[in-house]
Amino acid sequence: MLDTKKVRGGSGLREIESEIDEILISVEQITRDATKSFFDKYSENPNQLVLASWLETRCWREIDYVFLLNEQIRRYGMRLQRKHITLLAKQSFQEAEHYEALGKAVESLGGIVPTSVPTAAVPWSNFLWECMDRHHLAAIAAWYVSETSASGSFEPTFVGAERHGHSDVVRIYKQIEIDEKFHTGLGRQILSTYAETDEDRDEILRAMRGMREIAWKSFTPEVVAATMRAA
Amino acid sequence: MTDGAVNPMQDSPDQHILRVERLERAADGVVTLILTSETGGDLPAWTPGAHIDIVLPIGLTRQYSLCGDPSDRSQWRIGILRVPESRGGSEYIHTRLQAGDKIVVVGPRNNFSLESANQYLFIAGGIGITPILPMLAHLSASNARWRLLYGGRSLRSMAFLDEIRQLTGGVIDVCPEDECGLLDLDAYLPSHEPGQIVYCCGPEPLIAAVENRCRSWPDGTLRRERFAASARPTPFDPGEFEVELARSGKRVRVPADRTLLGVLEDAGCVISNSCRAGICGTCLVNVIAGTPEHLDDILDDRQREAGNVVLPCVSRSRTDTLVLDL
Repeated sequence: MLDTKKVRGGSGLREIESEIDEILISVEQITRDATKSFFDKYSENPNQLVLASWLETRCWREIDYVFLLNEQIRRYGMRLQRKHITLLAKQSFQEAEHYEALGKAVESLGGIVPTSVPTAAVPWSNFLWECMDRHHLAAIAAWYVSETSASGSFEPTFVGAERHGHSDVVRIYKQIEIDEKFHTGLGRQILSTYAETDEDRDEILRAMRGMREIAWKSFTPEVVAATMRAA
Repeated sequence: MTDGAVNPMQDSPDQHILRVERLERAADGVVTLILTSETGGDLPAWTPGAHIDIVLPIGLTRQYSLCGDPSDRSQWRIGILRVPESRGGSEYIHTRLQAGDKIVVVGPRNNFSLESANQYLFIAGGIGITPILPMLAHLSASNARWRLLYGGRSLRSMAFLDEIRQLTGGVIDVCPEDECGLLDLDAYLPSHEPGQIVYCCGPEPLIAAVENRCRSWPDGTLRRERFAASARPTPFDPGEFEVELARSGKRVRVPADRTLLGVLEDAGCVISNSCRAGICGTCLVNVIAGTPEHLDDILDDRQREAGNVVLPCVSRSRTDTLVLDL
């Protein structure tokens, strides 16, 4: 697999590249640990409704990305090269596909497909939309971290879900894993292409630091236990 | 602004309504626009290489480089070539825009900033001189080492020649095509000199020719600004070639208007992919023979030069046949 952190774009991130990469590496690792911790806990008492509840938050993220990406295009799209509008729209379409696929998985486990923000996803969603209002690159920076965070969850999800025979969950996440490479590469390319001023870079770092503190938490067994509605 | 103007950037925080102070002829087919604040105040600061988006009352958005003096905050200057195949943008500015009109402007933004270097080579083709002009002025004022190679169809079509000739400290080579022929890029780009950065702006064939000569240069030593939004050739660029699938021996043609990935899928190959735009890298395929034409955004220079992998969603072949490990 190629490293999407190295995708070609502009030089707009050059001065903050090392901190950005540190944020991405750390959020991926902490999410990996949180996911592993969730499946370890799940193995002690494999109640499908608990897994469904864990997936509900993932499911909401997908549809919230759809809303967000379309709003990004509506508000700021005319500043972008046409190819980037197309690619953001393509990402949005894939996120909608993920919402549909994960929704089926949630239902098959006896859960409820979210149609409003689940409690566990509220801090994540609020932060993302706040970023959208603050600066034209901030929401992209935030979802770039969030998508990278999700990348850390794949491997323990494959292992954990497979161990309990949830082959549908594995299959869906295999496709999501492929698409995340695109999404993280696109995030990096857009940020490096359009970041120009110190203010842009400050806003990008603010968004990325903020999302690093939030993105991984809903993967933990503690947050699932505290917020689940279906058990 | 004309009633009913479409402004797709109405929520942009750095949007301004500016007054067209005057239009001036700068060369055959080129006008300059002097823009000032509607309220008479200072305009936002900018640096050489910056551009603005102009939202025209006919609903088109066009990008133009700022080519005036960054220290003069009272006005902005842009130069606009009347493009024969114009889809309406330059045509509108040349024929309908008048002094006193108000236009919506977004920016400035800078994707072509002047980086620090020991010496600079600027290559401008036609109206591509506009982002470079303020760079030259800045470098002249700071006694930097620079050289300009400026080409155009004819002297009469080349804007800002008088201003350029007044600059000091650099070497200026003006090469109108009707007198000198095509720019002699081989003479100007024989190899990379340590500490040198090349800035290039002009029509796509010029940029492609410069890129071709700088292909093996260190990252960051060639900076270019394109007129068009698209940053690279599309999969519809001409260039039919053959691909051989090594495991089966099957051979298929890749027509000029199809992607390699699409043809491989039609041939029954199952290749993991997502973006189909050269970003995600998931469709990576090993190359056994032939030379790929890399058009992706993710392989690094070493991988490109090694030529043993290719991303078939966007990349093609420089040789008649490409043999893939499929």
